[in-house]
Amino acid sequence: MDNTTALVFGKNKYASEIVANVRDKYQHVRIFSLYNEEDNEIEKFDLSDSWENIQEDINAKQSIAFCVLEDTAENIFLTISLRAHFQDLTIIAIASNKESANKLKMAGANKVIPLVETTADIITNMLEKPISSRVLNSILYEESDLKIAQIKISQESRFNNIQLANIDWSRYNGIIVLSVIHSDMQGEFIYSSKVEDHIIKPGDILVIVGYEHDIQEFEKKIGSKRYVNWSHWSW
Amino acid sequence: MLKRLILDAAYYLQTSQSYQARKKFFYDILENDNCKYKKYIDMMMMVFIFISVAVLIREVKFHVNDYLLFFSNYIISFIFFIEYMLRLWVSSSVSEIIVARAEHDTFLLREVNLAKALRKALHVKLSYMLSIQAIIDLLAILPFFHELRLLRIFILFRVFKLFRYAKSFQTLSSVLATKKFEFFTLAIFASIVIFVSSVLIYVMEANNDASPINTLFDAIYWSIVTISTVGYGDVTAVTQEGRFVALLVITAGIAVLAFTTSLFVSAFTEKLYEIKEIKTIEDVSKLKNFYLICGYEKVAQELSCKLANNGNKIIVLDDDEYRINKAQQDGFIALHYNPGSVESYKKLNIDIDKQVKAILCLREDDIENVYTALTVRSLNKDVFILSLLINDTNRKKLKFAGINKIVYPQELVGLITKELVGKPVAFEVIHELRSDHTGVIVDEIGITSRIVENFTTVGELGNKEFRVVLLGIYKHKDDRFYFNPLDSMFIENGDYLLVIGYKIFIKEFEKHLHTKVRHG
Repeated sequence: MDNTTALVFGKNKYASEIVANVRDKYQHVRIFSLYNEEDNEIEKFDLSDSWENIQEDINAKQSIAFCVLEDTAENIFLTISLRAHFQDLTIIAIASNKESANKLKMAGANKVIPLVETTADIITNMLEKPISSRVLNSILYEESDLKIAQIKISQESRFNNIQLANIDWSRYNGIIVLSVIHSDMQGEFIYSSKVEDHIIKPGDILVIVGYEHDIQEFEKKIGSKRYVNWSHWSW
Repeated sequence: MLKRLILDAAYYLQTSQSYQARKKFFYDILENDNCKYKKYIDMMMMVFIFISVAVLIREVKFHVNDYLLFFSNYIISFIFFIEYMLRLWVSSSVSEIIVARAEHDTFLLREVNLAKALRKALHVKLSYMLSIQAIIDLLAILPFFHELRLLRIFILFRVFKLFRYAKSFQTLSSVLATKKFEFFTLAIFASIVIFVSSVLIYVMEANNDASPINTLFDAIYWSIVTISTVGYGDVTAVTQEGRFVALLVITAGIAVLAFTTSLFVSAFTEKLYEIKEIKTIEDVSKLKNFYLICGYEKVAQELSCKLANNGNKIIVLDDDEYRINKAQQDGFIALHYNPGSVESYKKLNIDIDKQVKAILCLREDDIENVYTALTVRSLNKDVFILSLLINDTNRKKLKFAGINKIVYPQELVGLITKELVGKPVAFEVIHELRSDHTGVIVDEIGITSRIVENFTTVGELGNKEFRVVLLGIYKHKDDRFYFNPLDSMFIENGDYLLVIGYKIFIKEFEKHLHTKVRHG
């Protein structure tokens, strides 16, 4: 695992859910609160902090910070403070509405989760497209056999320098390629006319859906591996 | 003996299903605004009224076709007579009054006092017959005796019957009825002014030969024409004293006119909200397949916009005036009713089974959401209810209240974060698919019997030609999703295809599925 430390700012239900979900993915999870907490594991921080203690302890490139303070203004201030001190830190922030989502992005958050919009999106999908919602949810969030994976084309990959339209996908049964993200980070869907002429280059990312063993098979066949790196991911 | 017979007849009618059903049928088509046939009856009656009036006007100077005259004088009058009798019949139930009296007396171990019951029934029927609407109905029948020339003018009473059939007239009269006391005061004031000024002008002018005011009638005529600020000028005061009275009457006239105008305006202003609400409720009762949103807070606001963008109809209920105003400003039909009260649904006259697609409890308060869900469940067992969960400790309570789907935003954040840190690119792709920002969407295509007639296997669908990715098939029969199905898999009625692609390609593909007809 590339990332080593998760920093969670805020002591609330969102923070608890985040900690529960990311604990197994990071070697260290550090929780910070603005107030003195009974729990010894929770460290106190101040918005005026100069973050020296954190700066010494963590490798910003290898870490991720979650800003989940309930007060929007404080959350934005926290985000901007973190970005000012840690250029390479990946920051994920929670926003209560679109307005604060924009401000958080301006403050330097890599990814903002707009709570209200996301909840509304999910409910709309549940109501309007119940089957796709169930399937996508099981692919994304649940421990189903069906998985979504992102595979980075390496120098040695068989797909390297091949035109997308010329690939015989029937050889890779059980796999559906949803999207090809070019190395310049622009996503295109495989059946779109624009992308058919695209020549796959090292650094492109394929987003695929399939069963675990089929994905492994696919990895072997094309000679590329699953890939996660936040530092390459920006908006 | 006779008493026994009447009692038996009353019990028979009261318990006879066919009699009660017929009575209800006639009540519905005559009096029940929610009955779909009532508007046709009303429209037919209005046509009859206009025919009668047209015949009356034509008859003044020209000869009217005899058949038309017969139709206007006899047929229409007869139809109105039938209508009058039916209304009298459905206005109250004599059998019910007799049975209630019999039950009451029997319970108290007394002999049944039939006379009292009949008196009460007579009283109830008479009070209906003496109501203004019933009197107008009766007078509208009188032109039947058109041989009496004077009675022909009663055709105009048929015009008053329009009040019964046109809802806007009823609204107008109900609005004016709220200011009964003020109108009464105005009438007294105007009468006093007219009386005093008529007498004064008569005293001042009657003995003057040059004055056109010679009788008390002339004086009253002059007073009313002057006070109403009409002032024809055919009758005017000529003496100094008379003109002085005229000055006073003109001043009083302005006051009367101002008072009258302000009364009308204030009556409508005060009732405007109510009138609008009645109109909204009427509109709601005609809507079908809508989402009922209970509570218009942040998530509800966002969700309503998204659902409305997808072409759905939205009705918002909230007991907070500020939020209701916000919903109305956002362009939704919003009603200031408590979604947790049974009374609200009764007033709104919503048939949950037939009209509501789903009920969404979106208050940011679990107590309110549970309360609303329980209220809805007490009215309907089957409707789909979705609710927000704010505090996870209340999850069980929400389930117990009969909520079908619970959405817990905090949990979503956790799951999203997990996926986001694991597969950020893949997550973003799925997110884009869901949010429709790029034009590429994931969609469901329901398999109908028509599609099955033309396509039997997955391979025949030809989705690739339309640049549509078939993610899988949901088999309704097995309640199972088959990812990336083989070309040989059979498709069946009730299945769903889960497809990904540009909206426009998916639409074309769907069109192709529905229109292709197999040859040979």
